[in-house]
Amino acid sequence: MQLSSEEAARALAAIEASRETMRSAIRAHRGHYHLWLWGLVWIAMAMLAEFGGLAGIRLFRWVSVAGIAGSVLIGLLQSREIRSPLDKRFFGVLVAVVFFAALGPLVLRASPDNQGVFAYCGLVAMLCDVIAGLWFDTYLLWLGLVVAALILVGLFCFHSLFWWWIAIFGGGSMIVTGFYIRYFWR
Amino acid sequence: MAALSRLSPREQVDFTFLKTKLALTDGNLGAHIVTLEQAGYIAVEKAFVARKPKTFVGITAAGRRAFEGHVAALTSILNPS
Repeated sequence: MQLSSEEAARALAAIEASRETMRSAIRAHRGHYHLWLWGLVWIAMAMLAEFGGLAGIRLFRWVSVAGIAGSVLIGLLQSREIRSPLDKRFFGVLVAVVFFAALGPLVLRASPDNQGVFAYCGLVAMLCDVIAGLWFDTYLLWLGLVVAALILVGLFCFHSLFWWWIAIFGGGSMIVTGFYIRYFWR
Repeated sequence: MAALSRLSPREQVDFTFLKTKLALTDGNLGAHIVTLEQAGYIAVEKAFVARKPKTFVGITAAGRRAFEGHVAALTSILNPS
């Protein structure tokens, strides 16, 4: 089909009009409310720390809770005309990252020694395993969770035997899993 | 297609919302969607939102490529090299 330049220009103008209509509709649905809210939360926390010192810093958790509640409320009130279906694996990665990130300070505060640093590094490696497990193969997910749990048990319950514990249960778990994958995996 | 081309790869738009925004009738937009879905240019998903059935429409990678080719062809008519 041959089009004249006038017809092509009209078609392009119609396309641009449709795109502009959609562009403004999408803009109204983006996460700008969340960004405004969390911008305010960060400003509030910084100012609390600057002017309130330690007492102000102690209020961080409540400001964060208010931010989270606000985000949930915005999420509930936001219209659903334009949506991005949630990928369950992506959600799983978010949960894993938040969970392991929360463990980091806990481990390092409770055990500020070489064992604690090793446990922290081990947990980061196990986080990578969990993410790889969510994305590629389930055994990595379970291995990551089990070894992470073993690291924590060793650190908090058997601190004096930590290196033996890690050698036997941490390293041992990985070697046994390797043998299982090589010889028994179906 | 022009409207859907503004969506991100994973985004979908509600049929009724699209119809209102583009000032189309149910039948007109529905016919477009059926044709484009059969060509593999858009993906249609039906879901329940607050217990109400809704139809969401998104553009596929093939649809995006075809649309960009169409725009390039129109542009080349206006600006022949």
